[in-house]
Amino acid sequence: MAGTGGTAPATYSPSPTTHKNKTSLFQQDWVRPDGRGFHQCRPAFFRTGAVNAASGSAYAEFGNTKVIVSVFGPRESKKAMMYSDIGRLNCNVSYTTFASPVRGQGSDHKEYTAMLHKALEGAIILESFPKTTVDVFALVLESGGSDLPVVISCASLALADAGIMMYDLVASVSVSCLSKNLVIDPVFEEENSQDGSLMITCMPSRYEITQLTVTGEWSTPKINEGMQLCLDACAKLAKIMRSCLKEAASDSQE
Amino acid sequence: MVAAMEEDEKKQQAEVMVTPGEVLGRVSDVKPGRGAYAAVHNDTVYASLTGFCRTMPPSPDSSDQRPTVEVTGHKAHGPVPQPGSLVIARITKVMAKTASADIMCVGPKSVREKFTGIIRQQDVRATEIDKVDMHLSFRPGDIVKALVLSLGDSRAYFLSTAKNELGVVSAESIAGATMVPVSWTEMQCPLTGQIENRKVAKVAS
Repeated sequence: MAGTGGTAPATYSPSPTTHKNKTSLFQQDWVRPDGRGFHQCRPAFFRTGAVNAASGSAYAEFGNTKVIVSVFGPRESKKAMMYSDIGRLNCNVSYTTFASPVRGQGSDHKEYTAMLHKALEGAIILESFPKTTVDVFALVLESGGSDLPVVISCASLALADAGIMMYDLVASVSVSCLSKNLVIDPVFEEENSQDGSLMITCMPSRYEITQLTVTGEWSTPKINEGMQLCLDACAKLAKIMRSCLKEAASDSQE
Repeated sequence: MVAAMEEDEKKQQAEVMVTPGEVLGRVSDVKPGRGAYAAVHNDTVYASLTGFCRTMPPSPDSSDQRPTVEVTGHKAHGPVPQPGSLVIARITKVMAKTASADIMCVGPKSVREKFTGIIRQQDVRATEIDKVDMHLSFRPGDIVKALVLSLGDSRAYFLSTAKNELGVVSAESIAGATMVPVSWTEMQCPLTGQIENRKVAKVAS
């Protein structure tokens, strides 16, 4: 191009063919990279007692998303804090440098931290440990999509493992909207090309929702469908979490 | 519904493992004990800990004849000082009217991370509380047995040694040896024979 000389380009306009690439991804026959059905979640693996130094801990693996959560407490609040009749919850979500496909700086996700706090504080009986603080530290080892729901479910398992009194376990699932399809438990690729997302955190035994996050464009029937999908998945996830806790407890008894 | 309830009760006798949020019974049938709570909106008793569920029969002279259901945590978190619990603490700082202490054990269990406690002049002993000299009662490094009076303020729990069996349990003399109690106000060093003043706990023999 530089070699021809002479004619200078007047204005640049994108060629009409560049739009086609984007739409072809969102055909009705989107096939999920791992071959799952649209309403099928990844197999969940949980293990408690991963960290010896912490009061309680849990490790969760959902396909390529691997998360480890440690809970410290109840321990003394910092001297600078004001006196409080009820306990305090302190959360932190951070990513390792090798968590994303492109190696980056291990960062502290302030927004995920705030969302984890909101999801958990409704489920913990704060009156049972006045004046003290419970610290929840979540570390995402590998981010393979749907990170925050996995972090929340894993954190509630870690809290149960630490012996903190809770109203109920907290299970969380998210749903992505890809043009007209609702896809549950999205992978990294699906999350990047989504039109909207819906994340529900609920206490399955009491059938109460602690947090609902909706982004993007949703029509009312779509929201209802998405919510129903999520609630069903949460109920199933809760069963897996409970069986993990019971297994760990009976193992330690022997 | 009734048949399922009876089956549940039989299961409870056999100690079932429960997880937080599992239904333990209805408020009309059972009372929530430790590790369980009653949800007001639907009159159900749920578990709040992971552990074994036990049903305690009600005491015969109480007006409320519901059995108490409690969950004993298989893995309890480290103990937290509660008002009325006996603690073992180490004195860190002695000042004119107060002494600071680090709480190391609550009851028979040791804590995972220390809590800060404070002993005020009026809580050192039961008699002549305004004439107490803190430096003649405690020294930094002493191990004391104390009672938690209250949650205190944001900085420390309020502790008290105002009983015969509370006070300094073990102390080191200036010479470096562990001292032997002589009376409720004095301890003696076995190496040098020196007498030092402390508020000594009366250990039952």
